[in-house]
Amino acid sequence: MQDVQLRSPVIRTLNGLQTFLLIVIILAPITWMVLSSFKSRVDVTRIPPAFLFTPTLDNYRELFIRSDFLHNTLNSFIVAGGSTLLGLLLAIPAAFAISWHRFTWPATVTLFARLAPGTLFLLPWFLMFSEMRLTGTHFVLILTHAVITMPVALWTLLPYFDGFPRELVESAQMDGCRSGDLLVRIVLPVIMPGVVVATILSFVFSWNYFLFALILSGNNTKTAVVASFNFIGEGVTNWGALMAAATVIALPPLILTFIIQRRLVAGLSMGAVKG
Amino acid sequence: MRQGTRVAWRSFSQLWQGYLMPLNADAPQGGQSAMSVRWMVWPAVLFTVLLVVFPFAYTAVLSTQDFVFGQDRKFAGLDNYKRMFTDPEYANAFRLTFLFFFLSLILQLVLGTWLAFAVNRVTWFKGLIRTVLISPFMLPPVVIGMMAIVILDPSLGVANYLLGQAGIAPRLFLAHPEWAIGTFVLIDAWQQTPFVALIVLGGLQSLPGRVFEAAEVDGAYGWRRLFYITLPLLGPTLVTAAVLRSVDLLRFFDIIYITTRGGPGNASTTLNILAYNRGFEFLDIGYASAIMISISVVVLGSVLTFARLRRAVAW
Repeated sequence: MQDVQLRSPVIRTLNGLQTFLLIVIILAPITWMVLSSFKSRVDVTRIPPAFLFTPTLDNYRELFIRSDFLHNTLNSFIVAGGSTLLGLLLAIPAAFAISWHRFTWPATVTLFARLAPGTLFLLPWFLMFSEMRLTGTHFVLILTHAVITMPVALWTLLPYFDGFPRELVESAQMDGCRSGDLLVRIVLPVIMPGVVVATILSFVFSWNYFLFALILSGNNTKTAVVASFNFIGEGVTNWGALMAAATVIALPPLILTFIIQRRLVAGLSMGAVKG
Repeated sequence: MRQGTRVAWRSFSQLWQGYLMPLNADAPQGGQSAMSVRWMVWPAVLFTVLLVVFPFAYTAVLSTQDFVFGQDRKFAGLDNYKRMFTDPEYANAFRLTFLFFFLSLILQLVLGTWLAFAVNRVTWFKGLIRTVLISPFMLPPVVIGMMAIVILDPSLGVANYLLGQAGIAPRLFLAHPEWAIGTFVLIDAWQQTPFVALIVLGGLQSLPGRVFEAAEVDGAYGWRRLFYITLPLLGPTLVTAAVLRSVDLLRFFDIIYITTRGGPGNASTTLNILAYNRGFEFLDIGYASAIMISISVVVLGSVLTFARLRRAVAW
């Protein structure tokens, strides 16, 4: 879309400046978080705030050596990894079938999970899983986080399955390929880019999710987002450790975002924008 | 399924297809194929029924009970719902939820559209800008909450220092009873506006160029073009962004829980926080369930409202 106003170099410069300012506003808090995580206890609460300081790794040492945070990070990887796998195992065949037969109700069913507030499931889950003595296990966290990952994966994958040429499936089927093999050997390799986006989105959403683990995790299975909550309320003195924890938690989502940003944007809006 | 249920179901599912994606709409017709892979949806459906639909129904049942954890359950009919309508705390939470919802939605749509227009005209560093725009959205709300604690601290935070440099008196931010919700609006705007901008940007870039050429010939420039041509054409995109944001705004929980826990007093106790506190602090499970059901009704209601709007702005 060619913009008329762009013909004036003054306006072009002003627009560039405005965009730059907005980008700075977006990046400033993230930068401040990372900077604060390398500050000493004195520097982190200094007034006026210290923009230049001698960096220290004390906060990370406190985090990983003097607290259980490494263990919690590991828990986060187990839960996010497990629920991503479970979500994909459920979503891939479902998305294939939904796309192939063009029936929509199963996709709609999964939307309930996307729509309902997390607290809604939490009470019955808590009652059910307490009864089954499952609370505090990795299993229950993986299972409940899959409620987040499965719809995300399903809706991300649908456009990719829809774009798959039907003739390929039909000819393979005539060659005597069974539907399970067909999905794994013929369809999946072609839509691998979609699977990658679905995997990364699922992983990040599960990694970020706070509420379920807050109630359903035990001391040994606390995820990083829930454990970092412990650093809050210990007072101002621990801001450094708090920001170090925040940086560690923010790192996997940010790295994954950088890797696949282009496809991610398309996947996130789920084909919402068709013009 | 009975006829009525089926009709309701179909309209619900059509509504979502219309909005979130052109589900299967463009796929070529290939009905002659005999292969059936219908069975492949069952694991996902079964999973959803067990972990989502059944708990939802269970919550609905709990909401009709007088059930405080550790005490006897009693059937209470609609008592919990009656209590909701006379509970001043519920009224307060309802007001706060909608205040937060409307302020956030408007702010994010306006700023997001502005940001999208600005970015759309920039020709350099496109990939980099897109990465920056998506970053806040991918961060865990917990991290946003922790950043808010440190940056917005009334006495030691960098925000008040910068305001001071600009000659503005220090603010209490989240610690101020009347400003707490407003601060959450700003925090969520920081995280989500770039996401809205990306959606609008997608819409902007797929607008038909011919319309603009014709507009130019007719002498429609600047503001006139913006309000009579570009924005109306962006209508469906904006509604889509509004739906995606509404669903999340009405469930906004993590950041409040981490920073103020609903305080000071109950100045930021939204419906979600109230339901959580009732359920997991007071163990008043019956009443908490009723509140949660009411939130779900609100979410569904807003989605259906937007569905009508979407049809109205379609072109």
